[in-house]
Amino acid sequence: MTQSVRDIVRVLKMPCREHVVLLSRQIDAPLSQGERVGLRVHILYCGGCRRFAAHLRHLQTLGQTLYNQVEAEPGLPADVRAQLNARIAQVTKKN
Amino acid sequence: MPSRAADSRAAAAQRWVAEHGDILWKFALARTRSKDAAEQIVQETVLAAMQGFESFAGQSSERTWLLGIAAHKIADHFRRARRAGSASSPLASADAACECATCRGMFTDKGTWACTASKWPDVHHSPAEKAEQAAALRACIDALPLGQSEAVWLRDILGIPAAEVCKAMGLTDTNLWTRMHRARVALRSCLETKFGQRKESGQ
Repeated sequence: MTQSVRDIVRVLKMPCREHVVLLSRQIDAPLSQGERVGLRVHILYCGGCRRFAAHLRHLQTLGQTLYNQVEAEPGLPADVRAQLNARIAQVTKKN
Repeated sequence: MPSRAADSRAAAAQRWVAEHGDILWKFALARTRSKDAAEQIVQETVLAAMQGFESFAGQSSERTWLLGIAAHKIADHFRRARRAGSASSPLASADAACECATCRGMFTDKGTWACTASKWPDVHHSPAEKAEQAAALRACIDALPLGQSEAVWLRDILGIPAAEVCKAMGLTDTNLWTRMHRARVALRSCLETKFGQRKESGQ
């Protein structure tokens, strides 16, 4: 058996508790090809994991929306910026 | 008299304020919802960055490095607020009210699903619904344990690559994956209580 097939079989044998760990990890790091295929096949017949995957995608969309909301807020106020630069100069002089 | 090294450090710090001051401010304000706290956090971040200037060897982008420092300062802020019992800390109120930051009950002992979560209202066609749900997400993030909320902000909101979040937070890959997974499961449960209707499946 190739590594890829072994990965597919391993993923298909996992309990759903471990499938959700892989679904989440997929956001942060690439899975092996076999793991990806195994997950995709599992999701075809598992409603719980399919829903979980949809919720993760939903979370990512809302995260992006939240970022856009934060990004649209006003930036560093001028007085705070000036104070900050003054503080930098003051700290530099001391050293 | 300031040395040449000190001068270059000051010049770098002024550049950070110019280039990254806005995002540091927005991040700090979004987390603390207090202008005084945000001001203090941005200042602490820049001063800490000046001290750690030599240790920053460009492993990550400057922006990521600064946001990572800010995340630490934000966590410090909440720790202080919690110790002082300040009511303005989102954690103080959210902790008590939170029924969500746990994945208890998600799986049976065999590791199969114990209950089916509901389909959430679609956000793709309604900006109002989207904004409302994003606000719900923000409240749910506020209710997470500190290490998780900062990781979620860096990774899932500010969109910093996982490897850089690891460096900024001093975590291994596996640490980060575990932390992110726990946080996402908790956020999902939290959002589920807000806009889903959980039904127990009888198996």
